[in-house]
Amino acid sequence: MAKLTKLTSRITAVLTLSVIAFFFFMTVFGKKESFSIAENRKLADIPEVSLDGLYDGSDVDQLGYYVTDHFAGREEWISAKTIMQAELSEQIVNGIYIGKDRLLDAEVSLRTPASVNADIFSRYAENYDGTVYFAAIPSSSGVYGDLLQARGISRSDSQQITAFYEFLSNDIRKIDAYNILKMLNENYIYYRTDTKWTTYGAYCVYKTVIQKLGFLPTLYDKYSIQHITDDFRGNLYKKVLSAKVKPDIIDIYSYPDGAEVLSCEKTTNSGDTVESELYDLDMLDSSDMYSVFLGESAPLIKIRTSVKNDKKLLVIKDSYADCFIPFLIQHYSEIAVVSPEDMQKELSEYININDYSQTLFMFGVENLGNRSNLEKIIERN
Amino acid sequence: MVYSSLLYIYGFLPISLMLYYLTPRKWREITILLLSIAFCGMISLYFLIFISVFTIINYCCIKLIEKFRRNEKLASVPLVFGIVFDLLALFAFRTEYFTWLHRLIKAPEGFFPIGISFFVLSATGTLIDVYKKRLSCRCSLMRFSIYIMFFPKLIMGPLLRYGSFSKLLDSRKSSLSGIGVGMTVFVKGLAKKVIIADNLYMLYRSVQSSNFNEISAVTAWLGITAYIFCLYFTLSGVADMGTGIAYCFGIRLPHSFNYPLLSSRIKYFAARWQSQVVQWLRRYITKPLYNSSEKKWLWEAVFIFGWSLFGFWYTFDLNGLVFGALMGAFIITEARLREKKIMELTGIFYTFLIVILCSVFLSGSSFSYSVKYFLVMIGGNGTIADTQAFYLTKSYIVLILLAMYASTDLFRNMMTRSGKKKLKIALNIVSPMVVAVLLIICTALISYSGSSEMLLLKL
Repeated sequence: MAKLTKLTSRITAVLTLSVIAFFFFMTVFGKKESFSIAENRKLADIPEVSLDGLYDGSDVDQLGYYVTDHFAGREEWISAKTIMQAELSEQIVNGIYIGKDRLLDAEVSLRTPASVNADIFSRYAENYDGTVYFAAIPSSSGVYGDLLQARGISRSDSQQITAFYEFLSNDIRKIDAYNILKMLNENYIYYRTDTKWTTYGAYCVYKTVIQKLGFLPTLYDKYSIQHITDDFRGNLYKKVLSAKVKPDIIDIYSYPDGAEVLSCEKTTNSGDTVESELYDLDMLDSSDMYSVFLGESAPLIKIRTSVKNDKKLLVIKDSYADCFIPFLIQHYSEIAVVSPEDMQKELSEYININDYSQTLFMFGVENLGNRSNLEKIIERN
Repeated sequence: MVYSSLLYIYGFLPISLMLYYLTPRKWREITILLLSIAFCGMISLYFLIFISVFTIINYCCIKLIEKFRRNEKLASVPLVFGIVFDLLALFAFRTEYFTWLHRLIKAPEGFFPIGISFFVLSATGTLIDVYKKRLSCRCSLMRFSIYIMFFPKLIMGPLLRYGSFSKLLDSRKSSLSGIGVGMTVFVKGLAKKVIIADNLYMLYRSVQSSNFNEISAVTAWLGITAYIFCLYFTLSGVADMGTGIAYCFGIRLPHSFNYPLLSSRIKYFAARWQSQVVQWLRRYITKPLYNSSEKKWLWEAVFIFGWSLFGFWYTFDLNGLVFGALMGAFIITEARLREKKIMELTGIFYTFLIVILCSVFLSGSSFSYSVKYFLVMIGGNGTIADTQAFYLTKSYIVLILLAMYASTDLFRNMMTRSGKKKLKIALNIVSPMVVAVLLIICTALISYSGSSEMLLLKL
């Protein structure tokens, strides 16, 4: 019997060491990509060894990220993890809740509260002559949070938006997108695999927003709707690579009898202006299909339309607004779309805000905690 | 760098094993030291400098004590200096009152010397042993450095005396079957940490992040049960990983935990939970006190004091102290009350209850929080169970049952003490496969973030 035990140990040693050796060599000699299409992100680079980096250990941390990102078969490992972890615990993997028919961000409580940044917008309004509107958009876990009773997420986004609106100055007109969306949550208003709303979700809020801005909304049956893909997998999917939830459909709404886009100029960070379009269908072949709306991100996009009313609107936004902008072209002769996330300089370097009589802020509440991005819209004194 | 990371398992571990076995036998001790230095250096170069300076200062104290051996009074000077230095190092990093000192020694932002609670006790114990002439062997700088820095026991012990460790180093036996046993223990530890502890931590966190004034009694119980299991599986998992790796190098470190959680008496729990640290406290602190206390109540007071220190060692705040004191008090009460034999199951039940009660204090952030938490557990919020409690129970029941089974010695007994020959052969045939599969499962579970660094307590 002792002999048998010894043999077993030997077999164990050979077996485990070969597993380790196999993945060691596969990882060391495997092909290295610098960008992961499945996860839609840049993978970690091998650290450049420096004395400072060794001194505080950051070089080895970086090496750890490098090994992790380039570990042989990473995508398969993550898919396998998602399947196993969901069995072990409450269906939450890598901070993502894997429900029967949708994925949700389960770490909402870790976000920086939006209300701490309310002062930025109030200060913007002080230096601005026109009217300011604000639409804070909940993320999918705010609208479908009931699926996640145990984490108190159901209330989180609505509370955040309420608190944020309370801190905003009274000069800013607030739009309650949360309750509109919450009421309609039987419909396909949020992507199943992304935190963002669908084009239909954006349309439902558009109807309210445009009335506040002083126009009548375009009726739903005037649009012709085009499904441009049924294979969209959003930012939540990229973290779990789980095939359990169906991929999403992206829709484009067009109004054939309505106003047309005359020009759509993008200003890049280098200062060049490039002609582009409202939709960039080439993006369907990239790892980030959502960029179909407005195409590749840029700090400033100026859209001129065939509407003849000399009304100009400034939209300061994050990616939530990308699918919302096309609805506005029926009402304004010029729309300037500013994305603080992509700005490298201050706002005044791109645009004079007082050329526009109305400003619409449209942000997902998940992005309102990021102070360093938002701060760029006010002058630093 | 932690043991449960891809960089360690698929990088450092295979390379270090290869280097070790390629070195000729007589040089292998140097290889161990160099590997330990590399490990410390990979945590950060500053940590390597820190631990080297710590080692050298302690070594100098030891040499001075040895030199003044004849004159006890003179020898006590380096002894006292060494102890004060060690304790200062311990308190400086485990409490919050010494940020000025961190600035003085130019520690990088957020620096924490991992394993400091273990290596400080190791060094202090050696100082006292040398002073009391209890050390049979001479202390060499190389051996002492390995003793402090040996990477498999750096993070989670076990806490050994210099003499015992030195003997283990001398009696190194390396063989392929030894590596097999080592890898089995390592993978067992990894599975404890990654499969059980990390997921129970999510349950604990999810109770923690709920609104404290609204949670039901059942939820509170789930939370604290998750905590104690998570604590056990984290500590013992990391310790097992270390022991396993040491085994691969032919060094047979003892186990820190011997299936304590579901013991049938509190006494047994106490004897099986991180026993080396308890033994250290007994040897260097409480034993001299016992000898001078003749009355029974005095003896008991010292006993409780010893346990309070043990609890304090975990958290370095009042809560840990209360945890230890309660534990000690319960052990004494049990010893006084329990004369008759009672059913084993009843024993397991009340022991677990007491452990949970005590760990309410270990887990809390402040004393008042723990008291409030305890009140919630007995229904202080007016609800016994709500939807959250049902949801959490439904989600985690499998894992909790798995954790319960894994924290008993039933499986080990089946492996080693089963009389049935057929069962034994069958177990031996499947066990290599099981180990390999567990390794792969754990790799998958850490694949997303690359490591599982949650340690619950910074020791």
